[in-house]
Amino acid sequence: MSENNRIGVFLCHCGGNISDYVDLDKVEEKLADNECVCSIKHHENLCSLEGRNIIKDQILRKDLDRVVISACSKITHGATFQKYIKPLNPYLFEMPNVREQCSWVTNNKEDATRKALSLVNSAIESVKYNESLKKIPTKVKNSVLVVGAGISGITAANSLAKQGMEVTLIEKRPAVGGAMIQVGKVFTPDKMSEDCAACLLNPVIHEMVHNEHITLLTNTVLEKSTRNSGNFDVILRKKPDFVDPEKCTSCGKCTQVCPSYAPDEWNEGLNDRKSIYKPFPQAVPSTYTLDSDSCIKCGACLNVCPTNAINLDAIDELIALTVGSVVIASGHQRFDTTKRPEYGHAFYEDVLSQMQLARLMGVNGPTHGHLTVPSTGKIPKRVVMIQCVGSRDQMPDGHKYCSKVCCMVALKNANLIRSHYPDTEIIICYTDIRTPGVYEKYYKYVQDNGIKLIRGRPGEIAREDGHMVVRIEDTLTRTKQEISTDLVVLSAALESSEGTMDAAKTLGVPLTEDNFVKEKHPKMQPVSTDIEGIFVCGTAQGPKDITDSIIQANTAATKISELVNGGLEVEPFIADINVKRCILCGKCIENCRYQALSLNNNSIRVGPIACTGCGDCIITCPKEAISILGQSDEKLEASIKGVLKDKSDDEQIIIAFLDDIGNVSANNMGINRVECPSSIRIINVPFVNRVKYRHIKYALTHGADGVFLGEYPDGPKHNEIRENVKVMKKHLEDDGINPERLLIHSVFIPYFRGLANQFKEFDEELKILDN
Amino acid sequence: MTEIDKFIPTKNITLFRSCLVSAEYPGVESSTKYVFDKLGVEYVIDRNQSCCTGLGHYYDIFDELSTAALAARNFHYAIKNDHKQYVPMCATCYAILKSSAKLLNEKDEVREKVNKAFRENGLEEFQYDKGDIDVKNDITHVVDVLYYLRDKIPEHKKRDISNLIIATHHGCHYCKVHYDDTLCGYRNPEIIDKICEVMDAPALKWYDHKPRHCGGGFRQRYANRELSLDATEDKFLSLHKENVDVLLVMCPNCQLQFDRYQQVLEDRTGDKHYFAILNIAQLVALYMGADPYKVLGIQTHTVNVEPLLEKLGIDYNPEEDTLHVRK
Repeated sequence: MSENNRIGVFLCHCGGNISDYVDLDKVEEKLADNECVCSIKHHENLCSLEGRNIIKDQILRKDLDRVVISACSKITHGATFQKYIKPLNPYLFEMPNVREQCSWVTNNKEDATRKALSLVNSAIESVKYNESLKKIPTKVKNSVLVVGAGISGITAANSLAKQGMEVTLIEKRPAVGGAMIQVGKVFTPDKMSEDCAACLLNPVIHEMVHNEHITLLTNTVLEKSTRNSGNFDVILRKKPDFVDPEKCTSCGKCTQVCPSYAPDEWNEGLNDRKSIYKPFPQAVPSTYTLDSDSCIKCGACLNVCPTNAINLDAIDELIALTVGSVVIASGHQRFDTTKRPEYGHAFYEDVLSQMQLARLMGVNGPTHGHLTVPSTGKIPKRVVMIQCVGSRDQMPDGHKYCSKVCCMVALKNANLIRSHYPDTEIIICYTDIRTPGVYEKYYKYVQDNGIKLIRGRPGEIAREDGHMVVRIEDTLTRTKQEISTDLVVLSAALESSEGTMDAAKTLGVPLTEDNFVKEKHPKMQPVSTDIEGIFVCGTAQGPKDITDSIIQANTAATKISELVNGGLEVEPFIADINVKRCILCGKCIENCRYQALSLNNNSIRVGPIACTGCGDCIITCPKEAISILGQSDEKLEASIKGVLKDKSDDEQIIIAFLDDIGNVSANNMGINRVECPSSIRIINVPFVNRVKYRHIKYALTHGADGVFLGEYPDGPKHNEIRENVKVMKKHLEDDGINPERLLIHSVFIPYFRGLANQFKEFDEELKILDN
Repeated sequence: MTEIDKFIPTKNITLFRSCLVSAEYPGVESSTKYVFDKLGVEYVIDRNQSCCTGLGHYYDIFDELSTAALAARNFHYAIKNDHKQYVPMCATCYAILKSSAKLLNEKDEVREKVNKAFRENGLEEFQYDKGDIDVKNDITHVVDVLYYLRDKIPEHKKRDISNLIIATHHGCHYCKVHYDDTLCGYRNPEIIDKICEVMDAPALKWYDHKPRHCGGGFRQRYANRELSLDATEDKFLSLHKENVDVLLVMCPNCQLQFDRYQQVLEDRTGDKHYFAILNIAQLVALYMGADPYKVLGIQTHTVNVEPLLEKLGIDYNPEEDTLHVRK
């Protein structure tokens, strides 16, 4: 701040929107006393081209170094005036919101005028602390890590690579394809037919394999990730290559001689496989793999391998990478059916999961596509399917959500059985059939094909006289039924996979209460996460079908492309570290929920894309070494000083620090002409924690009657903020100030009427407060 | 092993008496005391304690408000005696006490009504203050305590019971009313099974209808007798199929349903197979060497327990059974 500023104030009439309610002449008269104000101009519509000329002309003629434009909200015309003040630096102006937050919400002209003056004064004091800033051009490294090579991960990898990105695609399992490759058949509702999943997926897989910008690493997991100036330094752990993929010719001799067995994951444990094996005939990569848990290291395979590809002493490999973005596509797993002992999946061999049924029906499955009852080997006469096993379940060990795809999966498998084995009767026991959109047509089609449906959740399954019995209440007829059947199939819930939870934990991305990766905004930003640069797609984000997974994967790729190719310029209001004061304690790094800070060559670095300028780091710093560019403590204090400048003795003033959501809510108050007490003076802050105790104390000891904090409560720091307010109230008490003068309240954009009521209540309460 | 996320007391316990235990199977109480004494559990019996209202409550005779008021009165005595840890022997007492404490803690209106009633009747001392009783941690079932101390049980082994075929039946009001406080599962409840395991007498891992209720259903037993017995019958026949020697329960109402009605069920189904019905505390007491009549109180059972004692090779003097009329 320079000693003698030359500030120009421009008062917009807004075509009467302001001037009809505020006596702007009186405002001008008062401002004329301020020696820093070198020019005051009125205009009907400052946002017009004529307005631009007036502003520009005054800046040049009067040699102005700062500008205050009293008009509407910054959201409406902030960008306009940023251009109009050229040749000044675009950050050397302030816009007191005299329309939405004053003229539109105050009925009494005298009060409105007084309030307008106070808002302009605040801007004048505040603008003195504005600095010349530049938007920060940023560059995101064009390398991406994709975690998980199911349909979502492969789709994202392909799209990214085609847009010029270098992609590393990692997969925990020995082969790619995820759930889609395993499921055998998928259906297209429009065609009313079931298609071969592998046939649809293989071209996508081949595209990935042949794209030279994609490095595929199977048997690999994400071990560690640290943020480093906008990039991610990641460490990957690849299981030992017991079988050298370069040498293996997939002759299969090793499998023939291997003496040890383990349950076959590919076939959902319906049969056993050898310890050295190929996951399935069409597996990509097509080389053999060795499962070290079941291998007895007898060496039989070594003797028969014609290319000496096997090394039983191989060790795992750690791979270090630096990437600009990460895509979490680590998918789902299915609900552990042993948590439903009444369905006996663990102890009756004729109780299967839908995926096991899919394997039994798969031509590359354990029975080569022949559906047989495991205990008898015969074709089942009846199959009963049970929906919502672990979904839509209010009990503590169930999932409250609907898994979204199980109705379609059951209908598909039922129709598939029906078409291959017309004599087999199929009954689906459902809670509700949920087949939104065109899926409804498939549902009707399957029903017309003779699939029976009973509305009810079976209580239990028992084995009686060599067959299964399903006990159920038909809730439509309200009758108890015992259905004898050969086969029972459970539609187990989709739940967040261990891999997804591990990846989220390693990357520091928050999870939802259901343990899926939490999106930044479930409606508006469905593939972004709280960490800038980390994206999510597919079932890692929540249950969804193949189509939705593909849409989301492509969206994630597009979002990364925006970052890398968009020539991003970000607002300069980011954290700034005073290196002289900083002791490198790292508290700010730990605290930052956006992972915007990192330790680099003995200094704290701020990632300009990740940093939102919320200022939460400021209060965690024990050495007061952090500030937000263009948002200093002094500037905030100056805004308060300005608000209180011309306060008369009979006037009550409440300073309302509102975060961005609260500020928009307050604007909505104006747009909807909801009256707001004239005592309210809104100061918009990026984050409520940005307001320090010194500011609150300053306000209350310099004439403010109350301080209102408006906080959008859905953030992860909500509890911390509320605790902080308690502490500040304690401080106020110690300083002899009534803590009732400080109030925090939740704000939401649509609840502007509620906010107005809160203001009114607080205003009334303060009037009768003693000290 | 199940992770225990609630506090389980071993001292400052008020052993909450049950009307069904006292009236039907007093041996359950003496067995519990016998086992607690052996395990060094510190407890008192409170003569001022009233019924939890459970039976009346489920017959629609007592409303929630009176139930909550009686609970507040009982809690007052427990706190006053410095034995705040309520440990009931009956699953219904357990659930009712928890529900009442929850109601008194969470519903200001109910608490105020109850306290007002106390004030107006000169019973100010019974006033309940929010949070006086912690729903999760201050009310635990006897089986919770036995499960918690299970590793100490074998130290007091006097008799071998390993040759028994045991089935367990868990009280619904323990398992399915306050799910979050239930240890060892409620879909396949296993807390009694875990106690059996330490006595080298593992229970059947599963049998058809295992998680089902006993059929008792309070007023259902009398108002809808057929419905009640239909439900009991399913489980009863399944136990026959498994050839069990003994069914272990943790609630006197279940005990009553299987013991008092065994003859009725046999007549109904024409299916006969002897099995005894014991509360888990009775079996643990037997394992620790307790007297079958003086401690277990088997003379109050309808289904004779003596054949079970014979299978275990335990000497007994039938003359000590002064209740049954012997031919």
